Order: sequence, then structure tokens, then C-alpha cells
Amino acid sequence: MKNIGTIFKKEFYRVISDKRLIFTAILLPGLAIYLMYSFMGDALGGELEDVMNHEMIVYVENMPSEFENFVLAAETNVIFEEYQVSEHDQLKEMILNGDVDMIIRFPENFVTDIENQEIPDVLTYYNPGEKYSSFAYDSFAGLLNAYKQSKAFALFGDAYSIFTLDSENAEHIIVNEDKATGQGFAMLLPMLIIMFLFSGAMSIGPDSIAGEKERGTIATLLITPVKRSEIAIGKVLSLSVISLFSATSSFIGIVLSLPKLMQSDGMSIDIYGASDFIMLFTVLLATVLVIVGIISVISAYAKTIKEASMLILPIYFGTIVLGMSTMFGGEAAGSFWVYMTPLYSSINIIISILTFEVDAINYFATIASSLVYVSILIFILNKLFQSEKIMFSK
Amino acid sequence: MQTLEVLHLKKTFKLSKKQQKLEKTKTKEKVAVNDLSFVAYPGEIFGLLGPNGAGKTTCLRTISTLIKPDEGDVMVGGSSVVKDSFDVRGKIGFLTSELKLEDHFTPNYLFTYFGRLHGLEEEIIETRKTNLFKKFGIEDFKEVKVGDLSTGMKQKTSIAISLVHDPEFIIFDEPTNGLDVLTARSVTDYLLELRDNGKTVILSTHILSVVEKICDRAGIIINGKMKICDTIENIKKTNPSNDLEEIFFDLIKQEDQGGAF
Repeated sequence: MKNIGTIFKKEFYRVISDKRLIFTAILLPGLAIYLMYSFMGDALGGELEDVMNHEMIVYVENMPSEFENFVLAAETNVIFEEYQVSEHDQLKEMILNGDVDMIIRFPENFVTDIENQEIPDVLTYYNPGEKYSSFAYDSFAGLLNAYKQSKAFALFGDAYSIFTLDSENAEHIIVNEDKATGQGFAMLLPMLIIMFLFSGAMSIGPDSIAGEKERGTIATLLITPVKRSEIAIGKVLSLSVISLFSATSSFIGIVLSLPKLMQSDGMSIDIYGASDFIMLFTVLLATVLVIVGIISVISAYAKTIKEASMLILPIYFGTIVLGMSTMFGGEAAGSFWVYMTPLYSSINIIISILTFEVDAINYFATIASSLVYVSILIFILNKLFQSEKIMFSK
Repeated sequence: MQTLEVLHLKKTFKLSKKQQKLEKTKTKEKVAVNDLSFVAYPGEIFGLLGPNGAGKTTCLRTISTLIKPDEGDVMVGGSSVVKDSFDVRGKIGFLTSELKLEDHFTPNYLFTYFGRLHGLEEEIIETRKTNLFKKFGIEDFKEVKVGDLSTGMKQKTSIAISLVHDPEFIIFDEPTNGLDVLTARSVTDYLLELRDNGKTVILSTHILSVVEKICDRAGIIINGKMKICDTIENIKKTNPSNDLEEIFFDLIKQEDQGGAF
């Protein structure tokens, strides 16, 4: 046990005494994620604001004043221009080029046609490839629809309504807001958490084992009276703690940038209590042990850091795919066997913690199975450390 | 029982295609050490001689438990490298260019680290550190990272660290490599001191003058086999020239001719 502690401390000190490593392995992931997501959020928000602030240029023909008032009442940001049939092709070209956003052509006797129940056809022209034009169409399609309803109601009164929808139903939306927010977290976080744990471990694992082989420092360790299993456990534990630091930094980065990314101030982790965080932390700890175990075994097998990194990549991508497979559902799997599958169990149990639907059996199955997997991986690592062929192959 | 006995050691390596080309051979295996036996006693320095590729390093790596023999065994103070490798590692101090120190750490940190791995008390580690650092002049650069040290400084640090646990068996492979004359002398003097303190010392080197000066007995290995193993005096007597270098070259020549027929 004492040797595990000595190796743990040395491996840990190796990282925390190196400013460059602290920055690249621990601070940078969080900072990069915060900046990236904030930028993405700002860009998305900026885009929406830009469209909203844009003054739509709409050419109209025979627009009834009633509709014009309707548009003005809705505070739509629009400039109306007079449409001339002679300019039709030219205006179409301008829509194509994004200089004009939309054309709305009402028939000449639009109002009287309605009164005579002749069903006049309003013609609209827009370009879905241009964001302003597309937005103009969405706005005016809504406005025209509302105008149609109001005209119909004015003409036919209640006789027009076949049915209404929730016109006086105040309890229409039944939602547990915490759970809805949780669902939002559950769609995004599990994949990101696993990715960050993996990339954190990837940034230091190969150097700690394959690097020591490559540099010839592992042999110095192997001739000391320390059991190979103690070396394996000491390394896996220290790498896990550092990976957790790295993942925590990434997690803080996500949490801080989430309101910006989602363009909503409602995305706050305040909805979770201490017990949720404790469960989340224990799952992360069990998961990081498995991830570090996998990376350590590959690093011990590889001859160089480069080879180790190459061999780890497919597993990293596989894990991302696993994470993505649950991303759109936002719901944890029900089958017990899922919680016995390494890493996939972690993703599902994280989802259930985030959506307040943790099943105690599944939670303990995840923790227990992860500990079994990490024990197997440490056993393999121990065997690899004992193999002269693996340790000293050139 | 502080003798070190190498008993009929055999070690074969598989050759990769690249190695086959380098060795200019089509055989897939190379016998690095073949039925090698010798004994090193406490209170003596045993010199291990041989040209490059003779099997010296393989022999030393087997003694240090880094690799396992195919056949035979090495008994280090009664412990077998095959069965009790853990015990053997606690008894030996091994130095070879293959064992590197991590660049990021200082000699001071590494000395304490390896002392702890050898199960030493903090107080003993500090006493050993003071003595050895003074002996090899490490004091001045003990807080400089290994990566920033010169080759000689690194070698001195490696020597000190290999002796952290005051081992009964000292196995040094080319210990004076990269050292200036003064430091090289301090290392050979220290080996004599260790010998006088009753330690069993095995020294592998190319420098025949060093062997003549400090070794009590020596073994010459050629092509994985022990060609001669005796006291330096007796070895010298085998040739009219009475010169170790001449004897060494003669043995190599004989082996080459033997191989040719």
C-alpha cells in the first residue's frame, strides 16, 4: 500500500509541478470549452438578433389598408414598396440576390371577392435560401393566416369555428420545470462528460506509461522491489485523479457557457441537490477508472506515445458514438444489462441522475461493474508490466 | 551466503526481420547467452569483459530480474532470479545506460522517491543522500532537473540512486561512461571502498586498464559463452605477453577462426 502511495504521489507531482501540463491538461479544456460554447452561443444569438433587427423590404400589390394596419399593430419591422407588374421579373431577380425579401400580391378586388365568397388567392414570392427572405415569409405567412382568421370571424362569426383549441385552458401546460431542464442537460452532458474524461486521460496517460517505456525510465522502476500490481494501481489512481481534474475543468466550462449556448437563462444546475452531485461524482469516479484503465493497458502495450495515441483514438471515437446514441432520446435505457456494460452504463446512469429517475439497482450495478472492469484492466496491466517482451520490445 | 552465482544461464531472443538484416543472418533466433556460469564473491570485484554483442548486458539484465532466463538460474545471496525476483531486486544495485531517470525531476526528489520504493525510513534516506551526494559531488546540482543536467551529472545521479538502499550486490555496467577523469576515479575508488566493506561487485566494462587496476577476478564472454574466468593474475599468465589486452584479442581471434571452420 505504501508503494502505491509513493507512486501515486510521484505521478501526481509530475503533473502539478509542471506549469505547462497544468495548463494543457487541466485549465485549457475548461477554458477552451467555455470560450467555444460562449462563442457559439453568441454567434447563434447574434444571428437571431440580426434577423430580428433587419428591416424587411416587401413589395406589395393591392394591399388592403386593413391588412396594413394589422401588420403595423404587430410592430413588424417592414418597409412596403409598391409592386408593378412590369417589374415582376426584375423583382424576382432581386429576391434571388437578397435585395428584396418578399412580394405579396393581393388580387385587385380582394376585399369584395371575400365579401362575395369568391375565395381570392394571395400570391407570395420569397427565397428560402436567404435568411431575411425566409424570415419575412415566416412572419407574413403568420400574419396572413391571422388576418384570414379575423376576416372569417368578422364575416361568419362563431359559425366559422368548428372548434377552438385551448382558448380558456390555463392549465394547458403541465410540466415539472426542473425535469424539463434536466432533460435538456441529459441530452447534452453525458456525451460531453465521457468525452472530457476520455480526452483528459488521453492527454496524460500515454506519456505516463508508453512515454516511460520510450524514454527508458520504466526499467529503473521495474528493478525496485515494488510489485508490478502496485505500480499499475499507483499509476491508474493518479491518472484518474488528474483526469477528474481535467473533466471538472471541462464541466465548469460547460456549466458557465450553457446559458449562452442555449440562449436561455433557465439552464442552471441549481436544480440538482447534494445527493444528485454525490451520485454524479461517484459515477464519474468509477467511469474515469475504467477509462484510465483502458488507456493504461493500451499505453503499456504500445511501444511509443505516438503508437499509444493512435491505438486509443478508435476507442475514443467509439465512446463518442455511444454518447451520441443517447443524445437525442434524453432518456436512460431500462435494461439491467446496459448497466453492466462498461462506459455505456455510465452514460445511461448519468442521464437518469440528470433527469431525476435513478434506479438504485442500476446505479449500484454501474458502480460495481465499473470496479470489476477496472480490476480486470489493472490485472492485465500488471501482466504487461511483467512481460519482458512488452516492456523491452524495440 | 552473499555470493552471486550465475548457473548455466541461457537466453535466446527472437530476431525480427530488421534485426535479421542487421545481423546478416537468416536464423530467426539469436542465442545471446549460452550455458554461462560464474560466481562473484563478497569482498571482491568481478570484471565482466567481452566485445559488443557478446551477451554481457543480457547476463546483467537477467541478474537484475529485468528479463527471465530460458534455462539456468542466478542465485543472488540465496535468492533465485526465477523464483524470488522480488527479493533479488531488494538486494541489488544495478546501473546501466538502459536505466534512465525522468527528466522532469531533480536528483534530490528522485533519490528520496527510489529510497521510499526500497522501503527505507526517511531518516536513513536523508543520511544516505548526504553521504552519496557529497561523495559524487551531486550537492551543487541536486535541485536541478535531470533534463537540464550534463551526461556526467546524470551518470553520477544514476550511480547515487542505484546505491540508495546500500545493496549487498552492486552490478555496474560501464559506470565511468561520460564521466571526466576525476569523477571516473571517484567512482572506481568508491567501488574499491564497497569491496572493502564486503560487498559483492560485478563490473562490466570495455576499459581493460580499469579491469586490471580494480578487479580481483574477471570473466571474458564471447558469443554468449564464458571463455575464461579466473583471477586477473592467472588470466595474464595464460599468455606470454602477460597483457590483458593481448589475451582479449587472442580469444576473439580464436573464436572468429573457430566460427569460420
